[in-house]
Amino acid sequence: MEISNTESIPGRRIVEFYGVVTGNTVRAKHIGRDIMAGLKNIVGGELVGYTELLQDSRNEATERMIQQAQSMGANAVVNVRFATSSISQGAAELFAYGTAVKVE
Amino acid sequence: MRYVPKQPREGINVSDTHPLVEAGTLVVGLTAIFMAVVLALVFLVEVALYFIPAEKEAELFRDWLPDDLVTVSPGDARLRQTQLLADRLVFHWGESPYEFRVEIDDSESANAMALPGGLIIVTQGLLDKVESENELAFVLGHELGHYRNRDHIRALGRGIVLSLFFSVATGSDAAGLGLKVSDLALRSFSRKQESRADEFALAMVYTQYGHVNEAWRLFERWEDDESFRELVPYLSTHPQAGDRVDSLEALALRENWPTSGRVTALRW
Amino acid sequence: MALRSKLSDMDDGTFQNLNLLLNFGLPLLLLMTAYFIGSMIERTHFRSIRKRESEYHGYPVVSFDTMPDDWKVSDSTMVAGNIVVSLDYFKRVIAGLRSLVGGRLKTYEPLLERARREALLRMTESARRQGYDAIFNVRLETSRLANSRGDGHGTAGVEMLAFGTAVKFASRFSRP
Repeated sequence: MEISNTESIPGRRIVEFYGVVTGNTVRAKHIGRDIMAGLKNIVGGELVGYTELLQDSRNEATERMIQQAQSMGANAVVNVRFATSSISQGAAELFAYGTAVKVE
Repeated sequence: MRYVPKQPREGINVSDTHPLVEAGTLVVGLTAIFMAVVLALVFLVEVALYFIPAEKEAELFRDWLPDDLVTVSPGDARLRQTQLLADRLVFHWGESPYEFRVEIDDSESANAMALPGGLIIVTQGLLDKVESENELAFVLGHELGHYRNRDHIRALGRGIVLSLFFSVATGSDAAGLGLKVSDLALRSFSRKQESRADEFALAMVYTQYGHVNEAWRLFERWEDDESFRELVPYLSTHPQAGDRVDSLEALALRENWPTSGRVTALRW
Repeated sequence: MALRSKLSDMDDGTFQNLNLLLNFGLPLLLLMTAYFIGSMIERTHFRSIRKRESEYHGYPVVSFDTMPDDWKVSDSTMVAGNIVVSLDYFKRVIAGLRSLVGGRLKTYEPLLERARREALLRMTESARRQGYDAIFNVRLETSRLANSRGDGHGTAGVEMLAFGTAVKFASRFSRP
């Protein structure tokens, strides 16, 4: 499954398009990350725990989006966009969406 | 490019764990973790206690008074008599490291507390309710028992450590659950502490008067009197009045302490 | 007065049971009610969503940001659909517990899923109602509503917004 955040997969031609597909995750951090983040808030620097958390979330959201596209019989997802928001204290939602297409 | 309408499969963005299963796992798991942490912290407090002997504590808190205490004047007759009674009982203890001070709290509810440094607080309400010196001696002896077992410092230590832990670890709804769980765990410790203090108190009363008559009359009256009835007996830190009386009767029987004898009247 | 005497008539065993009931049973009851009613509402909503999605089957909704070349359009406008859903008590409590140990908030997933699908549906409905034939450059945004308690605990609601450009095809023959 190829994905791209452009109009189409570079060098390929879209023959069919099916519709919007989305992938969604909501994840919470655990206490350990919270405490580290609290400390980092004082000294500054990268919140490594959170970086990893959001990276995992993004991968999972993308994975789910790809699954949706696969279930439609597509072989590529184009115009992929991400959106993040905080749903409640300590939890972040991340979703990825794009259009499922068939390329050749 | 051609448009071919299609729908994705259902359920990709939703996990297949049933929410009740999720809820159950979380609650059980977290309760177990909380209890383990509480027990570990309590153990830590015990270790700390070992390093702060009673003498040191007496020294640290020698002249301490809590801020919100409303006391009666030092010349109050009941205060003097209670202090004298306490001194007489302490004499029987022997190796007490504390200099015990009695203060009367100007409050109507009946209560007695043992605070760090040898500070015994009794309320006006309690002094109103006792009908003989033997009863008061038992109450004071009970507090002395807590000092001997260092329960008051233990309670202080636990209180500090646990509230610190919960405020750091949580800040959400989970805090409520955590506090309920630790409360439950700690109250069973307290009931044992109370029983041991009761046993010490009875021994003191026997040593002082040669008999244990009327020592626990106060609790028997509590059992009958509605206005003493606490609405949360199971979760309170004291054993039920009825249970206390039963245990004390059994103890007197075991130790062969006579339950009849001349009752000393209050001297005010 | 009557309650007082009733309480003192009760023996200790009953008293203890009553107290346990109040301290643990009541919150539990609240949770269970929230769960059952919440999941009923959820099931109903999903059924409605699936029904409406099948009605709009064949209505092009895409996220391309330029139109496919073979679309000849006569008119276009921006359309949007949104929905605000609230989190029920059960979900919030479970999420609170989950944020101690980390991991996926599985109880929130169906909620966000149906919010998103509902927002897309409303956008599509709005476009069709106004006589448009397709939507492209669809974008989705989520925002969290400031909660009424203002203490950061829980959320009053989550808003899901879907917006895009709706187009009218110039003639029947340019329909894809």
